[in-house]
Amino acid sequence: MRPSGLRRPNDPPLLILVSLADGPKHGHALAKDIEHFAGVKLGPGALYGAITRLVERGLIEPTGGDDRRRPYRITPPGSAALAEALADMRRVTNAGLARLGLDLA
Amino acid sequence: MKRADPRVERLLRWYPRAWRERYGEEFLALIQDTLNGRRPTCQLRLSVAGAGLRERWHRTVRTAKAAAERASASSWLISAAIGGVVTLVPPSLKASLPMARAWQGTAALDALLAVASFTCAAVLAGILVVVPAFVRFLQAGGWPKIRRRIARAAGATVVAGAGLAGPLLAQRSMTSAQLSRSVGYWVGFLAASAALVVALGLWVSAVTGLRKDLKLAPRVRAAEVVLDAVIAAAAWASVAAFFVWYHTVQLSVPWLLVWMVVLASTGATGSKSVRRAVRRSRRILAAAGRGR
Repeated sequence: MRPSGLRRPNDPPLLILVSLADGPKHGHALAKDIEHFAGVKLGPGALYGAITRLVERGLIEPTGGDDRRRPYRITPPGSAALAEALADMRRVTNAGLARLGLDLA
Repeated sequence: MKRADPRVERLLRWYPRAWRERYGEEFLALIQDTLNGRRPTCQLRLSVAGAGLRERWHRTVRTAKAAAERASASSWLISAAIGGVVTLVPPSLKASLPMARAWQGTAALDALLAVASFTCAAVLAGILVVVPAFVRFLQAGGWPKIRRRIARAAGATVVAGAGLAGPLLAQRSMTSAQLSRSVGYWVGFLAASAALVVALGLWVSAVTGLRKDLKLAPRVRAAEVVLDAVIAAAAWASVAAFFVWYHTVQLSVPWLLVWMVVLASTGATGSKSVRRAVRRSRRILAAAGRGR
């Protein structure tokens, strides 16, 4: 496993990083956004388990705001880890599509 | 701050305390937003329980790893210190020291007696606080539940006592030289010691089993948690104090230093575990206060 812990496209940590890439969000907004762009419904347990790990690894951090709905934002190491993971996935996707003879456009 | 629904709040109990303190409020807010006024579903409960247990496991593994790292580092240091003391202290140092002056032996013995008395007092307090619950347990017909465990432990104690009688009688009738050459004496001594350890283990098991059956009030449980930690710390300190006294009297300086280091480290770890127990007992009392 890579140091960032990002493995699969439907990994909760990866989905959270993608969601936070366009700005800070709190738990419920994250869950809704992930469901919207990835079609993956993360339960509260899975979502906060992933948030806990990402905070521990320094890939995301809480911002100020209401205590009960604390927003999180992606950190520079988080952005770098996300970019690396997405580049890896793009390589695999491109290779798979090319071997299937499918149009990349 | 708006209080969460108690049914939702109860779900937090699956998570470790440190996690609850850090993420508890926002996690509850997320659950409330997800539920939008509905009751927690079975699926949600299971998912939160699973996530909470995973979090506990994750923290346990992390704590264990950190403890192992600390232990390996400190054991290396202690080994180096012991090795240094044993090998570097020249024999002439020991030879040049006068015989233990009376005050040194007396001070070490006083310290040992103080620690041992404190341990006994803590054990007695630990027994006394559960006596009312034990009486209620017996009055409610609980004796058959514990009879077998108590009988087993008592039987093992009798066997161990009878086994110890042989070596003790041999000690009276034989000289030290005869004892050290007697295979029978050493076999009997080791067998009796093993029987004593088994008997102690059975008593511990009986008491542990009994504790599960006792219905203790939160205050008593909180007191027991602290007393357990105090007794454990005091017992280890008693063992270390005994060896400090023994090596003071024997004037074996390297071992005296080693046991003084052990005594100091048992004091440090003991006070840490007592502080942890105090925090746990506060949580028990706080949970009882919330439940009222």
